Amino acid sequence: MAESLSGTMKRKARRSLVAMAVAATLMGGCATGDTGATEVWDPIETPNRFLFSLNRVVDIIALRPVAVIYRDWVPEPAQKSVRNLLDNLGEPVTAINEVFQGDPNRAATTMARFLVNSTIGVAGLFDVATMLGLERTKEDAGKTIGLYAGVEPENGGFYLMLPLLGPSNARDGTGLMIDYLADPFRILTFNLAVDWTAYQAARYGMNVVDYRSRTIFALDDLEKNSVDYYAALRSAYTQNRADMIRQRREKTDTKGELERRDNLALVR
Amino acid sequence: MSLLAFRRVAMRLAGAALLFVLPALGQSASAADPAQLVQSTAQQVIDIVKNKTGADRQTAILTVLQASFDMPAMGRSALGTNWNKATEEERTRFLKAVASAEARAYSERFGQYAGQTLTVSKVTPRANGVSIVESKLNQATGQPIKIDWEVRGDRITDVKVEGVSMVMTRRSDFNSYIQNHGGKVDALVQELEIRANR
Repeated sequence: MAESLSGTMKRKARRSLVAMAVAATLMGGCATGDTGATEVWDPIETPNRFLFSLNRVVDIIALRPVAVIYRDWVPEPAQKSVRNLLDNLGEPVTAINEVFQGDPNRAATTMARFLVNSTIGVAGLFDVATMLGLERTKEDAGKTIGLYAGVEPENGGFYLMLPLLGPSNARDGTGLMIDYLADPFRILTFNLAVDWTAYQAARYGMNVVDYRSRTIFALDDLEKNSVDYYAALRSAYTQNRADMIRQRREKTDTKGELERRDNLALVR
Repeated sequence: MSLLAFRRVAMRLAGAALLFVLPALGQSASAADPAQLVQSTAQQVIDIVKNKTGADRQTAILTVLQASFDMPAMGRSALGTNWNKATEEERTRFLKAVASAEARAYSERFGQYAGQTLTVSKVTPRANGVSIVESKLNQATGQPIKIDWEVRGDRITDVKVEGVSMVMTRRSDFNSYIQNHGGKVDALVQELEIRANR
Protein backbone atom coordinates (compact mmCIF):
# COMPACT_ATOMS: atom_id res chain seq x y z
CA MET A 1 0.00 0.00 0.00
CA ALA A 2 2.63 2.44 1.13
CA GLU A 3 4.93 1.12 -1.58
CA SER A 4 2.46 1.77 -4.38
CA LEU A 5 1.54 5.13 -2.93
CA SER A 6 5.14 6.28 -2.87
CA GLY A 7 5.51 4.83 -6.37
CA THR A 8 2.72 6.92 -7.78
CA MET A 9 3.91 9.95 -5.88
CA LYS A 10 7.37 9.49 -7.30
CA ARG A 11 6.01 9.17 -10.80
CA LYS A 12 3.88 12.23 -10.29
CA ALA A 13 6.83 14.10 -8.88
CA ARG A 14 8.91 13.15 -11.91
CA ARG A 15 6.20 14.20 -14.30
CA SER A 16 5.81 17.55 -12.60
CA LEU A 17 9.58 18.00 -12.59
CA VAL A 18 9.70 17.45 -16.33
CA ALA A 19 6.80 19.82 -16.83
CA MET A 20 8.61 22.36 -14.71
CA ALA A 21 11.79 22.00 -16.76
CA VAL A 22 9.91 22.58 -19.98
CA ALA A 23 8.09 25.50 -18.48
CA ALA A 24 11.31 26.96 -17.12
CA THR A 25 13.08 26.79 -20.47
CA LEU A 26 10.07 28.18 -22.31
CA MET A 27 9.52 31.03 -19.91
CA GLY A 28 13.19 31.64 -19.20
CA GLY A 29 13.63 32.93 -22.73
CA CYS A 30 11.22 35.78 -22.25
CA ALA A 31 12.01 36.40 -18.62
CA THR A 32 14.54 39.15 -19.17
CA GLY A 33 13.34 42.69 -18.74
CA ASP A 34 9.89 41.72 -17.58
CA THR A 35 10.68 42.16 -13.94
CA GLY A 36 12.56 44.87 -12.17
CA ALA A 37 14.20 44.96 -8.78
CA THR A 38 11.07 46.45 -7.28
CA GLU A 39 8.24 43.99 -7.78
CA VAL A 40 8.56 40.24 -8.27
CA TRP A 41 7.29 38.94 -11.58
CA ASP A 42 4.45 36.56 -10.79
CA PRO A 43 2.41 35.77 -13.93
CA ILE A 44 0.94 32.57 -12.46
CA GLU A 45 -0.10 34.15 -9.20
CA THR A 46 -3.47 32.39 -8.98
CA PRO A 47 -2.11 28.81 -9.18
CA ASN A 48 0.78 29.89 -6.99
CA ARG A 49 -1.56 31.19 -4.33
CA PHE A 50 -3.58 28.00 -4.57
CA LEU A 51 -0.48 25.86 -4.02
CA PHE A 52 0.60 28.19 -1.25
CA SER A 53 -2.63 27.62 0.63
CA LEU A 54 -2.28 23.85 0.16
CA ASN A 55 1.29 24.03 1.41
CA ARG A 56 0.13 25.97 4.43
CA VAL A 57 -2.47 23.36 5.28
CA VAL A 58 0.19 20.64 5.14
CA ASP A 59 2.54 22.86 7.10
CA ILE A 60 0.06 23.66 9.86
CA ILE A 61 -1.21 20.12 10.41
CA ALA A 62 1.99 18.17 9.81
CA LEU A 63 5.27 19.84 9.02
CA ARG A 64 5.42 22.70 11.50
CA PRO A 65 4.40 20.59 14.52
CA VAL A 66 7.05 18.01 13.64
CA ALA A 67 9.61 20.77 13.18
CA VAL A 68 8.69 22.34 16.53
CA ILE A 69 9.01 18.99 18.31
CA TYR A 70 12.31 18.40 16.55
CA ARG A 71 13.63 21.82 17.55
CA ASP A 72 12.45 21.76 21.16
CA TRP A 73 12.66 18.12 22.18
CA VAL A 74 15.58 16.60 20.31
CA PRO A 75 18.81 17.34 22.19
CA GLU A 76 20.99 20.04 20.68
CA PRO A 77 24.02 17.74 19.94
CA ALA A 78 21.77 15.26 18.12
CA GLN A 79 20.31 18.06 15.98
CA LYS A 80 23.81 19.23 15.23
CA SER A 81 24.91 15.75 14.17
CA VAL A 82 21.90 15.40 11.89
CA ARG A 83 22.68 18.79 10.40
CA ASN A 84 26.32 17.78 9.86
CA LEU A 85 25.32 14.49 8.27
CA LEU A 86 22.93 16.18 5.84
CA ASP A 87 25.42 18.93 5.07
CA ASN A 88 28.08 16.34 4.36
CA LEU A 89 25.82 14.51 1.93
CA GLY A 90 25.20 17.82 0.17
CA GLU A 91 28.90 18.66 -0.11
CA PRO A 92 29.52 17.01 -3.54
CA VAL A 93 26.71 19.04 -5.12
CA THR A 94 28.21 22.20 -3.66
CA ALA A 95 31.62 21.24 -5.07
CA ILE A 96 30.16 20.63 -8.54
CA ASN A 97 28.49 24.03 -8.44
CA GLU A 98 31.66 25.72 -7.28
CA VAL A 99 33.51 24.25 -10.26
CA PHE A 100 30.85 25.66 -12.57
CA GLN A 101 30.99 28.97 -10.74
CA GLY A 102 34.64 29.16 -11.77
CA ASP A 103 35.99 28.66 -8.28
CA PRO A 104 38.03 25.41 -8.38
CA ASN A 105 39.91 26.33 -5.20
CA ARG A 106 36.70 26.57 -3.26
CA ALA A 107 35.53 23.30 -4.83
CA ALA A 108 38.75 21.61 -3.72
CA THR A 109 38.23 22.86 -0.16
CA THR A 110 34.68 21.56 -0.22
CA MET A 111 35.85 18.14 -1.43
CA ALA A 112 38.58 18.14 1.23
CA ARG A 113 35.87 18.87 3.79
CA PHE A 114 33.84 16.01 2.43
CA LEU A 115 36.74 13.55 2.62
CA VAL A 116 37.78 14.64 6.12
CA ASN A 117 34.26 14.60 7.52
CA SER A 118 33.31 11.32 5.86
CA THR A 119 36.31 9.54 7.42
CA ILE A 120 37.55 11.23 10.60
CA GLY A 121 34.15 12.80 11.14
CA VAL A 122 32.44 9.39 11.23
CA ALA A 123 30.38 9.53 8.02
CA GLY A 124 29.80 13.23 8.46
CA LEU A 125 28.33 13.14 11.97
CA PHE A 126 31.04 15.49 13.23
CA ASP A 127 32.25 18.56 11.42
CA VAL A 128 35.97 18.02 11.95
CA ALA A 129 36.85 19.99 8.83
CA THR A 130 35.64 23.29 10.27
CA MET A 131 37.84 22.71 13.31
CA LEU A 132 40.72 22.22 10.89
CA GLY A 133 39.94 25.57 9.30
CA LEU A 134 38.14 24.33 6.20
CA GLU A 135 35.11 26.58 6.18
CA ARG A 136 31.76 25.37 4.91
CA THR A 137 30.09 26.91 1.90
CA LYS A 138 26.74 26.04 0.44
CA GLU A 139 26.09 26.48 -3.25
CA ASP A 140 23.29 25.37 -5.50
CA ALA A 141 22.61 25.45 -9.22
CA GLY A 142 20.10 28.27 -8.79
CA LYS A 143 22.94 30.45 -7.57
CA THR A 144 25.21 29.19 -10.37
CA ILE A 145 22.63 30.20 -12.97
CA GLY A 146 22.12 33.51 -11.21
CA LEU A 147 25.83 34.17 -11.26
CA TYR A 148 25.98 33.99 -15.07
CA ALA A 149 22.55 35.29 -15.99
CA GLY A 150 23.14 38.81 -17.19
CA VAL A 151 20.27 40.24 -15.17
CA GLU A 152 19.78 41.65 -11.71
CA PRO A 153 19.72 38.74 -9.27
CA GLU A 154 16.23 39.87 -8.17
CA ASN A 155 15.10 38.68 -11.58
CA GLY A 156 14.92 34.91 -11.33
CA GLY A 157 12.25 34.48 -13.97
CA PHE A 158 8.68 33.95 -12.93
CA TYR A 159 7.86 33.27 -9.30
CA LEU A 160 6.92 29.69 -8.59
CA MET A 161 5.32 28.09 -5.56
CA LEU A 162 6.49 24.49 -5.43
CA PRO A 163 4.30 21.87 -3.81
CA LEU A 164 5.73 21.01 -0.37
CA LEU A 165 9.04 22.77 -1.08
CA GLY A 166 7.65 26.29 -0.90
CA PRO A 167 8.74 29.49 -2.62
CA SER A 168 10.95 29.33 -5.69
CA ASN A 169 11.21 30.78 -9.18
CA ALA A 170 12.13 29.64 -12.67
CA ARG A 171 15.84 30.00 -11.92
CA ASP A 172 15.87 28.27 -8.55
CA GLY A 173 13.35 25.61 -9.59
CA THR A 174 15.56 24.69 -12.53
CA GLY A 175 18.55 24.77 -10.20
CA LEU A 176 16.84 22.44 -7.78
CA MET A 177 16.23 19.98 -10.56
CA ILE A 178 19.82 20.17 -11.84
CA ASP A 179 21.13 19.61 -8.33
CA TYR A 180 18.82 16.67 -7.90
CA LEU A 181 19.97 15.11 -11.17
CA ALA A 182 23.66 15.86 -10.58
CA ASP A 183 23.74 14.56 -7.01
CA PRO A 184 26.39 11.80 -6.94
CA PHE A 185 24.68 10.12 -4.01
CA ARG A 186 21.48 9.76 -5.92
CA ILE A 187 23.34 8.35 -8.95
CA LEU A 188 25.55 6.11 -6.83
CA THR A 189 22.78 4.50 -4.80
CA PHE A 190 20.84 4.01 -8.00
CA ASN A 191 23.71 2.18 -9.66
CA LEU A 192 24.55 0.08 -6.63
CA ALA A 193 20.90 -0.97 -6.41
CA VAL A 194 20.71 0.04 -2.76
CA ASP A 195 17.16 0.42 -1.43
CA TRP A 196 16.86 3.76 -3.09
CA THR A 197 13.43 4.89 -2.01
CA ALA A 198 13.94 4.47 1.71
CA TYR A 199 17.30 6.20 1.62
CA GLN A 200 16.07 9.10 -0.48
CA ALA A 201 12.90 9.52 1.56
CA ALA A 202 14.83 9.55 4.84
CA ARG A 203 17.36 12.04 3.56
CA TYR A 204 14.93 14.46 1.95
CA GLY A 205 12.51 14.06 4.83
CA MET A 206 15.18 14.93 7.38
CA ASN A 207 16.34 17.82 5.24
CA VAL A 208 12.83 19.24 5.15
CA VAL A 209 12.28 18.85 8.89
CA ASP A 210 15.67 20.32 9.71
CA TYR A 211 15.20 23.23 7.32
CA ARG A 212 11.71 23.92 8.60
CA SER A 213 12.88 23.84 12.22
CA ARG A 214 15.43 26.52 11.44
CA THR A 215 12.93 28.74 9.66
CA ILE A 216 10.13 28.57 12.25
CA PHE A 217 11.13 31.83 13.86
CA ALA A 218 11.56 33.85 10.67
CA LEU A 219 8.42 32.54 8.97
CA ASP A 220 6.21 32.95 12.05
CA ASP A 221 7.46 36.50 12.33
CA LEU A 222 6.79 37.22 8.67
CA GLU A 223 3.32 35.74 8.84
CA LYS A 224 2.37 37.63 11.98
CA ASN A 225 3.62 40.98 10.74
CA SER A 226 2.27 40.98 7.21
CA VAL A 227 -1.15 41.80 5.83
CA ASP A 228 -0.58 39.57 2.79
CA TYR A 229 1.66 36.69 3.84
CA TYR A 230 1.97 35.33 0.29
CA ALA A 231 3.24 38.66 -1.07
CA ALA A 232 5.56 39.25 1.89
CA LEU A 233 7.10 35.80 1.54
CA ARG A 234 7.45 36.25 -2.22
CA SER A 235 9.37 39.47 -1.67
CA ALA A 236 11.48 38.14 1.20
CA TYR A 237 12.43 34.97 -0.70
CA THR A 238 13.41 36.90 -3.81
CA GLN A 239 15.50 39.40 -1.86
CA ASN A 240 17.24 36.72 0.16
CA ARG A 241 18.22 34.71 -2.91
CA ALA A 242 19.30 37.87 -4.73
CA ASP A 243 21.51 38.77 -1.79
CA MET A 244 23.21 35.35 -1.89
CA ILE A 245 23.85 35.64 -5.63
CA ARG A 246 25.11 39.19 -5.24
CA GLN A 247 27.59 37.99 -2.64
CA ARG A 248 28.85 35.36 -5.08
CA ARG A 249 29.13 37.96 -7.83
CA GLU A 250 31.09 40.30 -5.62
CA LYS A 251 33.41 37.51 -4.59
CA THR A 252 34.32 36.70 -8.18
CA ASP A 253 34.67 40.39 -8.94
CA THR A 254 38.35 41.16 -8.33
CA LYS A 255 37.83 44.83 -7.61
CA GLY A 256 35.36 44.00 -4.87
CA GLU A 257 37.76 41.41 -3.52
CA LEU A 258 40.63 43.91 -3.40
CA GLU A 259 38.38 46.42 -1.69
CA ARG A 260 37.49 43.83 0.91
CA ARG A 261 41.17 43.10 1.55
CA ASP A 262 41.91 46.80 1.87
CA ASN A 263 39.26 47.08 4.52
CA LEU A 264 40.64 44.08 6.32
CA ALA A 265 44.09 45.65 6.24
CA LEU A 266 42.71 48.81 7.76
CA VAL A 267 41.07 46.91 10.56
CA ARG A 268 44.32 45.15 11.40
CA MET B 1 64.37 49.05 18.13
CA SER B 2 62.16 51.11 20.36
CA LEU B 3 61.93 53.69 17.62
CA LEU B 4 60.69 50.99 15.28
CA ALA B 5 58.12 49.84 17.77
CA PHE B 6 57.00 53.40 18.27
CA ARG B 7 56.65 53.84 14.53
CA ARG B 8 54.52 50.75 14.32
CA VAL B 9 52.28 51.99 17.11
CA ALA B 10 52.03 55.37 15.45
CA MET B 11 51.12 53.73 12.14
CA ARG B 12 48.44 51.67 13.82
CA LEU B 13 47.05 54.72 15.54
CA ALA B 14 47.00 56.56 12.24
CA GLY B 15 45.28 53.58 10.64
CA ALA B 16 42.70 53.47 13.41
CA ALA B 17 42.13 57.21 13.18
CA LEU B 18 41.70 56.89 9.42
CA LEU B 19 39.14 54.16 9.95
CA PHE B 20 37.05 56.45 12.10
CA VAL B 21 37.58 59.59 10.06
CA LEU B 22 37.02 58.17 6.58
CA PRO B 23 33.35 57.23 6.96
CA ALA B 24 32.67 60.59 8.55
CA LEU B 25 34.31 62.41 5.64
CA GLY B 26 31.99 60.63 3.24
CA GLN B 27 29.08 62.81 4.23
CA SER B 28 28.32 66.21 5.62
CA ALA B 29 30.17 67.21 8.76
CA SER B 30 27.01 67.81 10.79
CA ALA B 31 25.65 64.27 10.39
CA ALA B 32 26.25 61.79 13.17
CA ASP B 33 28.52 58.81 12.64
CA PRO B 34 26.33 56.08 11.06
CA ALA B 35 28.16 53.24 12.80
CA GLN B 36 27.73 55.01 16.11
CA LEU B 37 24.03 55.53 15.44
CA VAL B 38 23.48 51.86 14.59
CA GLN B 39 25.48 50.67 17.57
CA SER B 40 23.69 52.90 20.05
CA THR B 41 20.25 52.08 18.61
CA ALA B 42 20.95 48.35 18.85
CA GLN B 43 22.19 48.81 22.40
CA GLN B 44 19.05 50.73 23.35
CA VAL B 45 16.84 47.98 21.92
CA ILE B 46 18.86 45.28 23.71
CA ASP B 47 18.55 47.19 27.00
CA ILE B 48 14.79 47.55 26.54
CA VAL B 49 14.40 43.85 25.78
CA LYS B 50 16.49 43.02 28.84
CA ASN B 51 14.61 45.23 31.29
CA LYS B 52 11.06 45.71 30.07
CA THR B 53 8.15 43.50 29.09
CA GLY B 54 4.66 43.84 27.65
CA ALA B 55 3.19 47.27 27.02
CA ASP B 56 6.15 49.01 28.68
CA ARG B 57 8.47 47.43 26.18
CA GLN B 58 6.29 48.39 23.25
CA THR B 59 6.14 52.07 24.20
CA ALA B 60 9.89 52.15 24.87
CA ILE B 61 10.60 50.61 21.47
CA LEU B 62 8.23 53.04 19.79
CA THR B 63 10.25 55.89 21.35
CA VAL B 64 13.49 54.43 19.99
CA LEU B 65 11.91 53.90 16.56
CA GLN B 66 10.77 57.49 16.40
CA ALA B 67 14.09 58.84 17.67
CA SER B 68 16.51 56.83 15.52
CA PHE B 69 14.48 55.77 12.50
CA ASP B 70 13.05 58.00 9.81
CA MET B 71 9.59 56.51 10.22
CA PRO B 72 7.73 58.93 7.89
CA ALA B 73 10.17 58.26 5.04
CA MET B 74 10.06 54.51 5.64
CA GLY B 75 6.29 54.51 5.75
CA ARG B 76 6.08 56.57 2.63
CA SER B 77 8.52 54.30 0.84
CA ALA B 78 6.63 51.22 2.03
CA LEU B 79 3.44 52.56 0.50
CA GLY B 80 5.23 53.04 -2.83
CA THR B 81 3.18 54.53 -5.63
CA ASN B 82 0.04 54.19 -3.53
CA TRP B 83 1.30 57.11 -1.44
CA ASN B 84 0.28 59.49 -4.23
CA LYS B 85 -3.22 58.04 -4.31
CA ALA B 86 -3.74 58.38 -0.57
CA THR B 87 -5.45 61.40 0.94
CA GLU B 88 -3.73 63.53 3.57
CA GLU B 89 -5.85 61.99 6.30
CA GLU B 90 -5.10 58.45 5.11
CA ARG B 91 -1.39 59.24 5.10
CA THR B 92 -1.29 60.40 8.71
CA ARG B 93 -3.42 57.48 9.84
CA PHE B 94 -1.23 55.10 7.84
CA LEU B 95 2.02 56.42 9.32
CA LYS B 96 0.65 56.18 12.84
CA ALA B 97 -0.62 52.62 12.32
CA VAL B 98 2.64 51.50 10.72
CA ALA B 99 4.73 52.93 13.56
CA SER B 100 2.72 51.11 16.20
CA ALA B 101 2.71 47.92 14.12
CA GLU B 102 6.50 48.04 13.86
CA ALA B 103 6.89 48.74 17.58
CA ARG B 104 4.67 45.80 18.34
CA ALA B 105 6.55 43.56 15.92
CA TYR B 106 9.91 44.47 17.45
CA SER B 107 8.74 44.06 21.03
CA GLU B 108 7.33 40.60 20.29
CA ARG B 109 10.20 39.54 18.08
CA PHE B 110 12.62 39.04 20.93
CA GLY B 111 10.71 37.17 23.63
CA GLN B 112 13.53 37.18 26.09
CA TYR B 113 17.03 38.49 25.86
CA ALA B 114 19.27 35.56 24.94
CA GLY B 115 22.71 37.15 24.96
CA GLN B 116 22.67 38.68 21.48
CA THR B 117 25.26 41.31 20.64
CA LEU B 118 25.68 43.47 17.55
CA THR B 119 29.06 44.07 15.97
CA VAL B 120 29.39 46.70 13.27
CA SER B 121 31.88 45.61 10.63
CA LYS B 122 31.93 48.11 7.79
CA VAL B 123 30.47 51.44 6.73
CA THR B 124 30.11 52.21 3.02
CA PRO B 125 29.11 55.77 2.17
CA ARG B 126 27.13 56.11 -1.04
CA ALA B 127 27.15 59.11 -3.32
CA ASN B 128 23.53 60.02 -2.56
CA GLY B 129 24.24 60.70 1.10
CA VAL B 130 23.18 57.26 2.25
CA SER B 131 25.56 55.09 4.23
CA ILE B 132 25.30 51.32 4.41
CA VAL B 133 26.35 50.01 7.81
CA GLU B 134 27.09 46.29 7.76
CA SER B 135 26.77 44.40 11.00
CA LYS B 136 26.38 40.95 12.49
CA LEU B 137 23.98 39.95 15.21
CA ASN B 138 25.84 37.34 17.25
CA GLN B 139 23.64 34.78 18.91
CA ALA B 140 24.40 32.53 21.84
CA THR B 141 23.79 29.49 19.64
CA GLY B 142 23.98 29.14 15.90
CA GLN B 143 25.25 31.29 13.10
CA PRO B 144 25.42 35.08 13.40
CA ILE B 145 22.74 36.95 11.47
CA LYS B 146 23.79 39.45 8.80
CA ILE B 147 22.10 42.82 9.28
CA ASP B 148 22.70 45.82 7.00
CA TRP B 149 21.45 49.27 7.98
CA GLU B 150 20.73 52.11 5.61
CA VAL B 151 21.45 55.45 7.25
CA ARG B 152 20.53 58.82 5.79
CA GLY B 153 21.70 61.83 7.77
CA ASP B 154 21.16 61.03 11.42
CA ARG B 155 18.32 58.57 10.90
CA ILE B 156 18.08 54.89 9.94
CA THR B 157 15.95 54.47 6.83
CA ASP B 158 16.03 50.71 6.27
CA VAL B 159 17.12 47.46 7.87
CA LYS B 160 18.14 44.44 5.82
CA VAL B 161 18.21 41.09 7.57
CA GLU B 162 20.06 38.47 5.50
CA GLY B 163 19.48 40.64 2.46
CA VAL B 164 15.76 41.05 3.12
CA SER B 165 14.86 44.71 3.31
CA MET B 166 12.15 45.59 5.78
CA VAL B 167 10.85 48.46 3.67
CA MET B 168 10.85 46.50 0.42
CA THR B 169 9.06 43.52 1.98
CA ARG B 170 6.44 45.84 3.48
CA ARG B 171 6.02 47.54 0.11
CA SER B 172 5.22 44.27 -1.67
CA ASP B 173 3.03 43.24 1.22
CA PHE B 174 1.05 46.50 1.34
CA ASN B 175 0.87 46.88 -2.42
CA SER B 176 -0.50 43.39 -2.87
CA TYR B 177 -3.06 43.95 -0.12
CA ILE B 178 -4.21 47.20 -1.72
CA GLN B 179 -4.42 45.58 -5.17
CA ASN B 180 -6.56 42.77 -3.75
CA HIS B 181 -8.87 45.24 -2.04
CA GLY B 182 -9.98 47.30 -4.98
CA GLY B 183 -6.88 49.51 -5.03
CA LYS B 184 -8.03 51.39 -1.96
CA VAL B 185 -5.41 52.62 0.50
CA ASP B 186 -8.16 52.99 3.06
CA ALA B 187 -8.62 49.19 3.24
CA LEU B 188 -4.97 48.76 4.21
CA VAL B 189 -5.10 51.55 6.77
CA GLN B 190 -8.17 50.01 8.39
CA GLU B 191 -6.55 46.57 8.49
CA LEU B 192 -3.40 48.00 10.11
CA GLU B 193 -5.46 49.88 12.67
CA ILE B 194 -7.42 46.75 13.56
CA ARG B 195 -4.16 44.87 14.00
CA ALA B 196 -2.69 47.65 16.14
CA ASN B 197 -5.65 47.55 18.52
CA ARG B 198 -5.74 43.77 18.81
